[in-house]
Amino acid sequence: MSNVQWNKTISDVNEGILANLEDPKPAYYFAWFLSIICLLIGAGCWTWQVIEGMGLSGLNSPVYWGVYITDFVFWVGIGHAGTLISAILFLFRAKWRNTVNRSAEAMTVFAVITAGLFPLIHVGRIWFAAYWMLPLPNTNNLWVNFRSPLLWDVFAISTYLTISLLFWYMGLVPDLGSIRDRVKGFKRFVYTILSFGWRGTSRQWFHYEAGYAFLAALSTPLVLSVHSIVSWDFAMSIQPGWHTTIFPPYFVAGAILSGCAMVYTLLVPVRWMFRLEEFIRPQHLEACVKLTLLTSTLVFYAYALEFFVAWYSGNPYEWAIFEKRAVGPYAFYFWTMTACNCFFPLIWWSKKMRNNIPVSMVIAVLINVGMWFERYNIIVSSLVEDFLPGSWGHYEPSLVEIGITIGSFGWFFFWFLIFCKFFPIVSISELKLIMPKPLNPNKKS
Amino acid sequence: MSKKRPGGVLAIYQYLDDLCDAIVKIKDRNDCEGYDVFSPTSYHEIEHAEGRPKSPVRFFTLVGGMTGTMTGFGMALLADYDWPIVVGGKTAGIYSLPAYVIFGFELTILFGGIMTIVGMLFMGRLPSPTQRIFDKRFTNDRFGIFIPNASLDGDQAKILKGCGAEELRTIEPGT
Repeated sequence: MSNVQWNKTISDVNEGILANLEDPKPAYYFAWFLSIICLLIGAGCWTWQVIEGMGLSGLNSPVYWGVYITDFVFWVGIGHAGTLISAILFLFRAKWRNTVNRSAEAMTVFAVITAGLFPLIHVGRIWFAAYWMLPLPNTNNLWVNFRSPLLWDVFAISTYLTISLLFWYMGLVPDLGSIRDRVKGFKRFVYTILSFGWRGTSRQWFHYEAGYAFLAALSTPLVLSVHSIVSWDFAMSIQPGWHTTIFPPYFVAGAILSGCAMVYTLLVPVRWMFRLEEFIRPQHLEACVKLTLLTSTLVFYAYALEFFVAWYSGNPYEWAIFEKRAVGPYAFYFWTMTACNCFFPLIWWSKKMRNNIPVSMVIAVLINVGMWFERYNIIVSSLVEDFLPGSWGHYEPSLVEIGITIGSFGWFFFWFLIFCKFFPIVSISELKLIMPKPLNPNKKS
Repeated sequence: MSKKRPGGVLAIYQYLDDLCDAIVKIKDRNDCEGYDVFSPTSYHEIEHAEGRPKSPVRFFTLVGGMTGTMTGFGMALLADYDWPIVVGGKTAGIYSLPAYVIFGFELTILFGGIMTIVGMLFMGRLPSPTQRIFDKRFTNDRFGIFIPNASLDGDQAKILKGCGAEELRTIEPGT
């Protein structure tokens, strides 16, 4: 990243980033309005489902995990790139992360909150959900089953949400101090409270840096564990197509692929709406594309290996499922997934295409679609044909399920866009670190 | 605040290397005790100039992490002994320990992370929303040094000025 050309100095950062937040382009308000419409569609569908019951979803024997679990895995996966960028790339000292880490972390927080809604939507009677999911004392004296991967998941996701939230807020504190020193009146009071009274003393920075490094070190195994545990929701069962040991690394690679694609999908419009082109440079976007391409090849390898393992195992039931995935009733989902996740990103081997923002944006959106289809493909195609041929069935999502899925996108973008308006979407203090240092020009070093 | 905050001299710097020169000159002087350095971001040059020992935040992380490990395993085991559930013929309790590694691991990170934040806030004397903000430019693009109980005509002010301070001013006590 040493080839980044900065036209600005650290004195331009506060003004450049904060002034733009106060006055985004009109497209911002349009996007926000659109997300509210989607959110209302989802809220309406969920309310209807709560009143009428789970019959409104397409779920029925033998497919009891459908679009809701697909959405859950999809949104958890989206969150992973945020932690990868903020924690793992921090430990690797990849400087380009400093421009994109804030938006990636915000994406993580809102994606995991969105994901957290789906187990609640999926269980139907949400008012009992706390007793099913948490080890709470109850009148039957029964505890939850600590050997169930579903409970592992509850702990993994809650830890992930809490740590991501803390990591994100900790990074925000110095920047909130910058906003406080810029605004007046009631706004100043609010940002003084939010920034904890940050003064930027060397003592504060010193302990902040130490804490940040420890949180990054803790988040690194966490991010790898969370999607491994999500994959165990499937891999711990004996269902053909799920019961395989490659699931954890395969899921982690997939999660990071979808997350990186989502970072790009968010970054390009946000950079334009808030006029951040001078700070999020084309080289930073290209670095994000390179990371997406890398994970795409990992996912490609995992898809191939999954088929190889199924064939090499000599297990006819396992192989039958994989054969059906490619040529059976769900072949459309399978081939869309393969095209979007494995073949379209290959265009990024060309530097010209990596730097072509409209083309890259289209590919990034296609990867998001492909990753959603991947989860749908894994979940549904394994369940439709279980051990009893007499109970084989077919599953297609109902309109309510589609509505709630649209609503989840609305919910995610609604919060993300609010965040963009009121908080610095580029980390001010970290951006200053990768810009040229303010050294005395008259001094010989 | 019952304790009155001391007055002193505030020097404002435009350049990082000038600031570091000043820190090196004042850090061991008896008449500069309790000085504060202000910076818009965490430049390591300041850390090296000050020569601080390792941050004790790591002990907070360690204690939090260990508490988490014990809580994770403890919670699952206690629930097992309270009401054993036999799943797939596997006896509850210590024999199911491999499954409980997940809880030990996740809570290690959860408690470790929370305690890291607590440590960082505690060691950085935060939250303190009533603290004095000497200059609004310290969160923008300027650096600063505040020496308590010093005056503009003292030795300390001369050193600060000599290192290239672009502005020197007096801070009144208690403001």
